Amino acid sequence: MSDNTPQTDEPAGGETADPTNDDMLVETDVAAATSGSTAGATPDPVIRSRDLDVFYGEEQALDSIDIDIPENRVTAIIGPSGCGKSTFLRCINRMNDRIDACRVTGELSLRGKNVYDDDVDPVALRRRVGMVFQEPNPFPKSIYDNVAYGLEIQNIEGDHDEIVEQSLKRAALWDEVSHQLDSSGLELSGGQQQRLCIARAIAPDPEVLLMDEPASALDPVATSQVEDLIEELAEDYTVVIVTHNMQQAARISDKTAVFLTGGELVEFGDTDQIFENPEHQRVEDYITGKFG
Amino acid sequence: MATNNEIEGFGRVSRTIGTVFRYLLLAATLVGLVFVTILLVYVAKDAVQPLTADPAWHLTFFLTLVVPTLAAGAYAYRESVEALRTGVFSVGFVVVALMFSGGAAMIFVDIVEPLTWLAFLLALAVPTAVTAAVVSYDHRVPFAAQFLATVAAFYLSLFGIPGPLGSLAGVPTLVPSLFDFVAGLPLAPAPWLMMAGTLGPPVAYVGSQYVAGDRDRRAHVLTGAAVLALVLAGGALGPFAGVDPVPGVVVAAIGLAPPLVYTAGTAANRPTERTGLVVPATIVVGSLVGAAATDALGFAGPQSWVDWAFLTGSHSSTAAEAGFYPAIGGSILLMLTVAVLAFPVGIGAAVYLEEYAPDNRFTRIIDVNISNLAGVPSVVYGLLGLGLFVTYLNQPPGTVLLGGATLGLLILPIVIISAREAVRAVPEDMRAASYGMGATKWQTVKNVVLPRSFSGILTGTILALGRAIGETAPLIMIGAPNVKYSLPAGLSEAASAMPLQVYAWSSLYASDGFYEQAVPAGVVVLVAILLAMNSIAIVLRNKYQSTE
Ligand SMILES: Nc1ncnc2c1ncn2[C@@H]1O[C@H](COP(=O)(O)OP(=O)(O)O)[C@@H](O)[C@H]1O
Ligand SMILES: [Mg+2]
Repeated sequence: MSDNTPQTDEPAGGETADPTNDDMLVETDVAAATSGSTAGATPDPVIRSRDLDVFYGEEQALDSIDIDIPENRVTAIIGPSGCGKSTFLRCINRMNDRIDACRVTGELSLRGKNVYDDDVDPVALRRRVGMVFQEPNPFPKSIYDNVAYGLEIQNIEGDHDEIVEQSLKRAALWDEVSHQLDSSGLELSGGQQQRLCIARAIAPDPEVLLMDEPASALDPVATSQVEDLIEELAEDYTVVIVTHNMQQAARISDKTAVFLTGGELVEFGDTDQIFENPEHQRVEDYITGKFG
Repeated sequence: MATNNEIEGFGRVSRTIGTVFRYLLLAATLVGLVFVTILLVYVAKDAVQPLTADPAWHLTFFLTLVVPTLAAGAYAYRESVEALRTGVFSVGFVVVALMFSGGAAMIFVDIVEPLTWLAFLLALAVPTAVTAAVVSYDHRVPFAAQFLATVAAFYLSLFGIPGPLGSLAGVPTLVPSLFDFVAGLPLAPAPWLMMAGTLGPPVAYVGSQYVAGDRDRRAHVLTGAAVLALVLAGGALGPFAGVDPVPGVVVAAIGLAPPLVYTAGTAANRPTERTGLVVPATIVVGSLVGAAATDALGFAGPQSWVDWAFLTGSHSSTAAEAGFYPAIGGSILLMLTVAVLAFPVGIGAAVYLEEYAPDNRFTRIIDVNISNLAGVPSVVYGLLGLGLFVTYLNQPPGTVLLGGATLGLLILPIVIISAREAVRAVPEDMRAASYGMGATKWQTVKNVVLPRSFSGILTGTILALGRAIGETAPLIMIGAPNVKYSLPAGLSEAASAMPLQVYAWSSLYASDGFYEQAVPAGVVVLVAILLAMNSIAIVLRNKYQSTE
């Protein structure tokens, strides 16, 4: 696996500002004590968590997560299964609220506002944060209605035809479906369905796009299409993507967070640094496949 | 092995017990089916009396109808299984549609005046349009104002000022409702034109949508016009065929137009299934030819007790003249009342329990008890109806409304359980997708859960309705008359029902003739109507399963 790491040079590039990344690493490593002092030095992260714990009943799924997710970058979350990657993602748009047993403590802010404050309406929050799921899940409606769903329910003004077309174009699906917008979204292939779900998620123009293993149910060709798409989306959106596929994380992300068993965030930093030169032995073992 | 130079097989493992078990299971599967089928064959034989026909009559129809139909079916089957399926389906569609149009015609001839119907539709359409207009200004008008405007529009249109609230207080009507206004118009178009005007356009719209989709405007307009022409022709030409204009229109709009539209749609859109249409064509042509031939040659048909006189006459003191019409009409009215009362409540409860109710001890208790209610004997529901409505609320016994309410209570738990099943079958993925887009619970239920579970809900509720149509005991308990000589003129009049009439004919006081003639005929009609209703449920379920 380690021979894939050279590929990471390309997507990460030299764009990310190095000093901030170092600061973040310090924060995640040394826990909450230092976070207050260093936070002032970084440009405002879009998503910021401090001391975030999540429990399902008695069982702890996330343990004191501190992370700062930067704007207009792809942040990948990797880790073995059951380490709480999906749980973390669901904290960001409060989809965890739908699980009765789930309890969240600590801070998770979107642009400086703690989304778990009492005055936050989770429905309003989810309108600013789009989500794409592991299994493609288009509605049993027409392709057009699928993409326009968010526009309808959020009462978004404007030319819906135009927005639907733009969203499908950005999801790299327009050419394939422009002549059959009235046919059911379920008639598309798996890869097309997932791109339809991405178009649906971006149509209302959210600030953040959450993706939970969006390519894991797809074949290799569809996977690489979706990956290309994600890289392009990062120009306008802050993308947080969960994946268990390390090559994928290395290829498309700018930042990588490594969660390990027990719901800990062990290391967070620039993707190429994580893959070439991780600080923690456990992370290196995980990335090189010594343990999973 | 070393001692044996021949190549050995693998030997065999005994499956005797397994085979016995398998056939026992098969027997268990078939036992009920076989007994009921045998009974129905016997009853049908008594009712239709096929042996009273001239053997030549049978031979004629065998040659003109049975043989060609089998040949057409084999031809379609060789083309493709889908073609044969389409053919058989369209035959069933014609039969079921004609039966439903008969029921609808009954209602418009004897119960609801066309003018009343028109007034009612207008009184609903106007406030619906108002509602649509108000809702499209969604973001500008606050919800409370929208709600008030909508309620006011419906109230004014249906009841006027001050309406039932005022008449309770003894205030005279100041402004008549739209309903009263239209129903009281001195000049109205001919009744059949009103029926054609109300039934024709919706059927034409749906039909042209089905045949032409939205790809071709010309085909659209043509199909719509053809359907409208058919509906009008039903009224205009009906009298020449001995059918009054109003039932002519109803039968054309509900019984003929839908199967024809289906046929046209198949011919136009599904070339691979087109060959299947030879089956219905052969049946229609074969029956006409057979009828003409037996007429011309003077071969007598069977002396069926199920004939036109039986379907349109009322009870009589002699079995040979007894008819079933008031009972059929009463059952149809009862079913409509049950549907209107039980479906919204049952589906509402199902959606609440599945989508809203918290999972706590209280809801679990409700859960268990709804299942228990489904098993409560129907006599008990009859007692409930009697106690609640007749004794306590002082309603007159045996009315349509009372019977509908009692039967509605009876099937309510079944409706709830089957609707819950359908709602639960909506994949969790769909809900997650909707909530993830920032939908509220209401938006998710309205846009995702209900549309997705609609056909499942409908399937379950139609089957529940089938249970209600055959119930006798609750109707006896609430004092529905066993025998009525005319259709009830409204919801607050007493009505008989098919199972009650059959029960009356088979009771101790009836003569043998009733037992041998009227009872089998009545049972055949009852079962035929039940099967027609269930066939809708079955078609829906197949469609639902194939789109999953
Ligand atoms: N709905 C739930 N109810 C109870 N426990 C859950 C639920 N979802 C996840 N968990 C538990 O939380 C832990 C993290 O799960 P998850 O976030 O799905 O991990 P990942 O996405 O990294 O595979 C696991 O131990 C899992 O068993
Ligand atoms: Mg997961």
